[in-house]
Amino acid sequence: MSHIHIPDGVLPLWLWVAGWIAAIVVVTVAGRIASRSEARRKVPLIGVVAALMIVAMSSEIVPLAYHVNLSVIGGILLAPALSAITAFIVVLVLAMLGHGGVTVLGLNAIVIGAEMVIGWALFHAVLRALGRSRAAIGAGVATVFTLAITTTLVVGIVWLGGAGEAAERETGALDPATMRFENPFAEGVFEFGLFGGKDHGPDDYEDGDEAGRYLSAGRFAAVVYTLGPAGWLIEALVTAGIIGYVARVRPKMVFEGPLAEEHHRIPGDESGGH
Amino acid sequence: MHIGRIDESATLADSWLHRVSPVSKLLAFALVLGAAVSTWNALVVGSLALALVAIAVSARLRWRLLLTLAGYPAVFALVFAFSAATSVLGGVTIVLKAVTAALAAVIVVLTTPYPYVFAPIQRIVPTIVGDALLMTYRSLFLLLEKFGNLITASRLRAGLTTGHPVRSARATTRALGGLLIYSFDLSQRSYDIMRMRGYEGRLHVTLPRSTDRRVDVALVTGALALLGVSLTWRLGYQALNPYSWVLPIVPVLAIIATLLTKEKAA
Repeated sequence: MSHIHIPDGVLPLWLWVAGWIAAIVVVTVAGRIASRSEARRKVPLIGVVAALMIVAMSSEIVPLAYHVNLSVIGGILLAPALSAITAFIVVLVLAMLGHGGVTVLGLNAIVIGAEMVIGWALFHAVLRALGRSRAAIGAGVATVFTLAITTTLVVGIVWLGGAGEAAERETGALDPATMRFENPFAEGVFEFGLFGGKDHGPDDYEDGDEAGRYLSAGRFAAVVYTLGPAGWLIEALVTAGIIGYVARVRPKMVFEGPLAEEHHRIPGDESGGH
Repeated sequence: MHIGRIDESATLADSWLHRVSPVSKLLAFALVLGAAVSTWNALVVGSLALALVAIAVSARLRWRLLLTLAGYPAVFALVFAFSAATSVLGGVTIVLKAVTAALAAVIVVLTTPYPYVFAPIQRIVPTIVGDALLMTYRSLFLLLEKFGNLITASRLRAGLTTGHPVRSARATTRALGGLLIYSFDLSQRSYDIMRMRGYEGRLHVTLPRSTDRRVDVALVTGALALLGVSLTWRLGYQALNPYSWVLPIVPVLAIIATLLTKEKAA
């Protein structure tokens, strides 16, 4: 669960505004940290990693409604400050391609940014335990745990988004009465209602009653925790394969970062190392 | 990934919507998005989607590309609606909201070159973020081309075959690894080129002006009207909801009128 595939206008106003504010603060701080040294050199680097992630996230495995993210790889290679900027850019571009929603952009940036940073931290923790020769395994393990954590984060966001009366009063989102509309041709002949056509309102439900919520966080959690592990496994295998390959071909790129001096291309190798 | 076709439509095609200034289009997009966000009436959201289809038809956008791009988030919204919505109608509304927001965004990117879409954003975010945003799109083209070449090379060497999924997966992963290394070399090369061209830490994009300001005003006013309708239905739902069925008729008539006009002109 790399980012929230929740359309615009589903989550309550306070939640997505808070997401935007948090994302702006994080990106501003990350931008300042990144600008302290070699800022100009980092611009194309962020651009290519963001492009890689966009390519991955835009290629859906249709029967599964799943796409790989490469976010942990991006995190491993870019480290936290550049990861936060890259996450913001990725979700912004995806949102303009209609993928991900504009209002949830802040929350998505936080989720993907967290995925990249947690992936980076776990990968290095696993490397310290297993050694550099097990980079592929470390990347795979880090990916599984990272995706499990961020999936829980997304479930938490959905739970907050559909958390009953407080959310409904704040936003009016999916106020059952508002959602109800009737066919004017005949009374009761053709009637849609959110909860069986009855005129329910927030006051009709007890606190904590799932039926009083407009999103079922419990069912959402059940679905993502059932389907999610298959996606985590696919992502972990892809990440392990790629990191293993890069660790063999360009080890310092994985262990020291792409801006390490020795990664400058060989003079005359215009094709880029192939 | 349809980046090439999106860019071709944005830069090479010509329509009244292409000639509207990017700022006006982004403003209209924000208003339509506000309209989709503020309503939970499925017919209102559906009407917004139909109104956007009418605009797309009038601008002669590639409908297959438009529907593909708008349909992509619908698949994910369907999964979300299935897993989280507490009723069928709620689920339908969630999917319609996804399609409406995606249609609005896709219409903007199909009629506006990428640098112009992100130039206003570039001005309000930190320099490094704004510049990286502009660099991302350029990198996308280069990486997609390179990845296509790597896959073709793997296929020619029988690395990708339907009968050997494990071997194919390995070859694809290696191709992605190669792409990753290539992308970092590319970033270094881009940096060298940018420095040679005098890059001092800020990419400048000059926004084009509108060719006819009346069209800009009409577009923004139309978007404002959509937001007004959505808010009116939201606030006066008790009196207006029974008449929600009226709303889709207007954009449907607009679509028919546009199609007839196009046929007549042809």
